[in-house]
Amino acid sequence: MSAIAYSAVSFGYPDGPLALDAVDLDVHAGEILLVVGSSGSGKSTLLRAANGLVPHSTGGRFSGDVVAFGRSTRTHKPRELADVVGFVHQDPEAQFVVDRVEADVAFVLENLGLPDEAMRRRVEEVLDALGIAHLRDRNPVTLSGGERQRAAIAGALAAAPGALVLDEPTSQLDPQGAEDVFAAVGRLNADLGTTVLLAEHRLERAAPLADRAVRLDGGRVTVPPAAPGVVMADYPGAPSVTRLGRLLGWDPPPLTVRAARGLAVAMTERPEPSASLNSSVAPAPGDVLLRAEGVGVALDRRPVLHDVDVEIRRGEVVALLGRNGAGKSTLLRILGGLLAPDAGRVDPCPTTAYVPQDPNAMLFAATVRAEVTETLRLLGRPNDAAVDRWLDALGLHDLADRHPRSLSGGQRQRVAIAAVAVGGADVLLLDEPTRGMDADSRHALERAIAHHAREGGAVVLATHDVELAARCATHALVLGDGETVASGSARDVLAGSLFAPQVVRVLPPFLTVEELAGAMERT
Amino acid sequence: MRSATATTRPWHSAAWLAWALAGAATVQLAPSPVYVALMVGIAWLVVEVHAPEGPYRRAFPVLLLLGVAFTVFRIVISGLTAHTGADVLMTLPEATVPRLLGGFTLGGTVEAGVVLQALSQGFALIGMLAVFGAFNAIVSHYELVQSSPRAFHELGVITTVALAFVPSTVESISAVREADRARTGGRSVRRGRILRSMVPVLERGLERAVALSESMDARGFGYQASTRGDLAAGWCGLGALLALAGAFVALVGRARPAAIGLGAIGVGFLVAAVALASGRARDRRRYRHRRMAPADWVMVATAIATPLIVGLCGVSGEGSLVWHTNPLHWPTFSPLVALALVPLLFPLTRTPRPPTAASRAGLEWPEPELLPEPVAGG
Repeated sequence: MSAIAYSAVSFGYPDGPLALDAVDLDVHAGEILLVVGSSGSGKSTLLRAANGLVPHSTGGRFSGDVVAFGRSTRTHKPRELADVVGFVHQDPEAQFVVDRVEADVAFVLENLGLPDEAMRRRVEEVLDALGIAHLRDRNPVTLSGGERQRAAIAGALAAAPGALVLDEPTSQLDPQGAEDVFAAVGRLNADLGTTVLLAEHRLERAAPLADRAVRLDGGRVTVPPAAPGVVMADYPGAPSVTRLGRLLGWDPPPLTVRAARGLAVAMTERPEPSASLNSSVAPAPGDVLLRAEGVGVALDRRPVLHDVDVEIRRGEVVALLGRNGAGKSTLLRILGGLLAPDAGRVDPCPTTAYVPQDPNAMLFAATVRAEVTETLRLLGRPNDAAVDRWLDALGLHDLADRHPRSLSGGQRQRVAIAAVAVGGADVLLLDEPTRGMDADSRHALERAIAHHAREGGAVVLATHDVELAARCATHALVLGDGETVASGSARDVLAGSLFAPQVVRVLPPFLTVEELAGAMERT
Repeated sequence: MRSATATTRPWHSAAWLAWALAGAATVQLAPSPVYVALMVGIAWLVVEVHAPEGPYRRAFPVLLLLGVAFTVFRIVISGLTAHTGADVLMTLPEATVPRLLGGFTLGGTVEAGVVLQALSQGFALIGMLAVFGAFNAIVSHYELVQSSPRAFHELGVITTVALAFVPSTVESISAVREADRARTGGRSVRRGRILRSMVPVLERGLERAVALSESMDARGFGYQASTRGDLAAGWCGLGALLALAGAFVALVGRARPAAIGLGAIGVGFLVAAVALASGRARDRRRYRHRRMAPADWVMVATAIATPLIVGLCGVSGEGSLVWHTNPLHWPTFSPLVALALVPLLFPLTRTPRPPTAASRAGLEWPEPELLPEPVAGG
């Protein structure tokens, strides 16, 4: 039985090309269907069509039909589908109406006009189902990202809809928050039989959860719904462990570290790691660009950093790791000269550039090229060569004449990095650069980081993304509650930790698929 | 961020509305700096105890500072332009504005009476802002909407949601300014900064608004279609609100005729709205609707007592209520009027506590001695 059926759905935003092109898709009742595809492939549009937000709230040209539990979105508005399809947006901040979690969860029930007793029971059940009963009296703005997103899911789920539509629900969250959200989604599906239609970029957790996956490219279904392992087989954004399986010829490729370990045990010959992988000696360090000693700072009378030492040399890429609130962003802002430390000393380095977590905070120009050129204009030195160099480095050349606001999150992040880096700073400070990025944007960013370090610059990344750190960092610094927990070469720090990248957990000492591929080529 | 433990609001939002109206009326009836200072103190205490941590609480001192800034501005302007000739404080070089622009004299003699009069009027404004700021910091806007008749519900929700955008915009401005500095490696470039910061702030706000409206739509907002009568009542209610707000501003600005006119229009709209709304039998479902408890009615009664007593004092010829600066003298103080302000402290008899099942339903309030010490001042 199908919960949501798309038949020949085509849709174009006003004045835009087709975002969906003749899509046929059956979402089976009770399954978790994962939608993958690069930014701009039409994932969001597809999800918004499930409850009629497309085309009712967007406008545009719509043809075909979407039927959710027997109701067509042609004849029903989103609000008339609220009791059958729940919708959760990727931005956890922008979906609360009431300033108390419990009352916000009840919002949909009040709108639908349920009797009092039914409302009470539903709210209690939903709070328990998502494990947020202890947060019921809190204001949503005071919750952590993961808690907030679970509260938002509770708000969509209160009306007991048969299907839940989640548009990149964890793209703004740290790993723990993402873990909590997916655990809750899995539980809902298992216990209540809720159908889930889910779009995600980060697939390490989402792919094992799904029953089936479907791939979109340019608004078309390019790989029809099938087992996630099959769809992932040649998808560039697949989890590292899946790409590892692909390289080693495992069929179907594994989706979890656990499954991959089982396959790795059965391997008869293992690729020999080269000597450089076992040595923890970093490549010959360049001269020091930036040094901070004993840095401590308190914000709102709460200590955020305590006695942290950092030394950054030419050619280094340093990954700052640690849970939310560990002080990563604060340390970056201190290194970037945007915040003065209360204690300790930062050797002034005139050529640092800081890219904030939210690229939207700085994009204002009419085109990508103008946005990047603006920085040079502000610095008073017109230099077109640098502009083109950075547009190339970050793979933005084809987008140079687009409006920055019309781009996807990952593309915007790259524009922001280009706009800051073009100033010619030696040290780039990137705060959570891969948030919401698809595989293409991630690869472009990794290339640009490696290039900048090779040219004699240095990069500091504050990130939750250990796979990114494994692929491009030379050094790693782990912060915990404002103190240095571990510091050293990226290989030592990452391989030995509980949150190690997937590949090293299957086939140590290789950190990444690329390293393994290199070793296999040599033999 | 401070620890975000949740607390309940001990008093119903409608009771706070009565408290705020009583406070504003008191400031109007007794605008002498002595009593206004007492009023500001009361508002401050009440905010310290009752306002939940958040942007509205942080807005309270900002509002007071705004009042102070406006007062200083007003003193400077009146000192430079109004001239009585008596009690000259100092003499400045003077210039007469061309007749085309009004022909008044700038500078010249600055008189104590004029300055003090402006000061006293500024005090009344600060008092009004304190009462308004305290109300805004304490009250749950959504609870107010929930207590209003069904017809006002949708407009009310939209208004509260719009209000919530104000603090998020303020936070967004600081993020954008930092991003702007980051772009040039910590150096701040003034040229073109307004554009560089306004565009991202507005676009972020717009994007959030779109996301929020999608979320509201997906959650069935507006599912029960409003009838024509509901809509008419809603618009009348909005008109009443605007007219009364205008009357409030006119009162602060001491424009009595305008205030009376606007107030009358507002009351007229209000009556029409209530008449239209009460014609509708169908009621809106409300989740755990909090009703006014007897204690809330006691708070309303005590709050109303203050302006009543002060008003009676005024009628009976109490001279200390208004400070006349001509001839010059210190503002006088009457203990009776000060005592009349005490009922406005009644809300302090309860403090916010961790919520319980009973308090969530607004049914009862736990006895203070059974609970740990309240954390006054958060």
